This record gives sequence, structure tokens and C-alpha cells, in this order.
Amino acid sequence: MGEQSSIGIDRTGDIAVFDIKGDVTSASEPHFSEAYKHPDMDGVSKILLKFDEEAYINSGGIAVLIQLLAETKRNNQTVAITGLSEHFKKIFNMVGITRFATIYGSVEEAMGKL
Amino acid sequence: MFNYTDISTVELSLPTQIGFERVAMACSAAFARYVGFLPERIEDLKTAVCEACLNAIEHGNKGKPDARVIITMTYDGEAINVYVKDQGDGIKDIPDDPDIEKKLLHLEAPRGLGMFLIRQLVDEFEFNILSDDGHTVRIQIKGGPEVESYQAST
Repeated sequence: MGEQSSIGIDRTGDIAVFDIKGDVTSASEPHFSEAYKHPDMDGVSKILLKFDEEAYINSGGIAVLIQLLAETKRNNQTVAITGLSEHFKKIFNMVGITRFATIYGSVEEAMGKL
Repeated sequence: MFNYTDISTVELSLPTQIGFERVAMACSAAFARYVGFLPERIEDLKTAVCEACLNAIEHGNKGKPDARVIITMTYDGEAINVYVKDQGDGIKDIPDDPDIEKKLLHLEAPRGLGMFLIRQLVDEFEFNILSDDGHTVRIQIKGGPEVESYQAST
């Protein structure tokens, strides 16, 4: 039940945009892992996570994002986020994700500041 | 058992299967909209109901296909109380608030965020309401000023 997530990678220089479609739940873990290990990620130092504003994200999905943040921290990569609804901006702030990933209002703003 | 003439109560019975928490979220959102809750409170309610149902499915009923999750929502003119009942024996260890730095260093499991989110988003909560046939979590959320318009119109 629900819409399975898929992640497209859009590479610009040393920035990779993860275009995240669909639900973000514990079932999304293989998609994030596969995207992070994709050959297109070679040499990436900055990752922008682009969510659907209507996305369904639950605690299992947040745990998957924390696992991804752990990997990026280990590899000294910068992570930014865009596309979240106001509710999920609040949730990400509550959990502490925003201490390790800056939220931007749009892809353009994020790309300009990364 | 609810009173059949009670128009302030809604009850749902869900299968023990991940994904059906979305049905409870949609139902709670519709109920909250009906009684005039503010949009941001509806989002808080949806997330809290989602996490309570996920806990009931995964930890309460432990995924047993012959167990159900029963959700009862009541509105008292000010707040919605949601009771999420599973057939488990309660929550033995309520996790501490998450520490993201520890999680990033793998010193703390990445999961265990659901109860934290519930505690943060609702006005009142109660875990471990135990009975002969299961365990119930109660969450209460108030709707905000727009609720007054519903009260005035009823």
C-alpha cells in the first residue's frame, strides 16, 4: 500500500540532487542506499535532497535519512534539503536533522548557496 | 463499546499491516477538518496517529495477521482524543528523546523516533493503558481557535 519511493540523481558539478518521489518510509532504505552508491556520485561533495511537498514521511523514513546523514558526515559531504512542507520542516527541526542539513525554499536557492 | 447515537465518535478497525496507518491518518484528518481544526493541527494529528498506528502494528501486534488495530476518535468540543488499541501487552521501555549526534555516530539506533514525535506533537498522551484484551495509547490534540466556529454552529 502507498507509493513506493524512487530517487533520480541529477548531477551538476560537485553537487548531486536526489529527486525523491513518493513515500519516504523504512522501505525506502534500499533506494537511498542505491542512489548514494551510484557511479554518478563519484566526486560529489554536496547533496541536495529534493522532496515532494505532498510526500508521506514517517519515523521509519526519517531513520533512513539519518542513516544517509551518517554516511555523508563520514565522507565530509554537505547535505541540503528542499521541497518539504511546513509540517515536515518542523518535524526535521524537532528531530535535529536541521543541525546537519540546511533547508532551502527552492532548488534554485539551494544550488546558489551550496 | 460506543453509543450508536454518538455523533462525536468514529471507530476504525485496521489490519495488522504496514500501510494501513495511512487509512487512519486520512480518517483522523477528515474528522479534524469536519470539527474545524486548524490545518497545522491536522498535520500534527496525522503524524501522531500514524506513529501510534505503526507502533501498534509493528510492536503491539508484532505483525500478526489475525490481530487488529482499533482506533477510536472522539471530539469533546475542544479536543480530539484518539485511542489506538493493539493486542500487545504494552510498551516496556519507552525510549529516551533521540540524540541525533549519537545516531550519526552509530552510538544510538537510527529508529525509535515514533514515540518522540507523538510526545512532541500532541497536547496530552498516555501510554500503557492495559486491559484484558490489549494495550491502548491515548493521544489528545486541541484544534486551535477555528474550533470555536464549529461550536457556535452546532
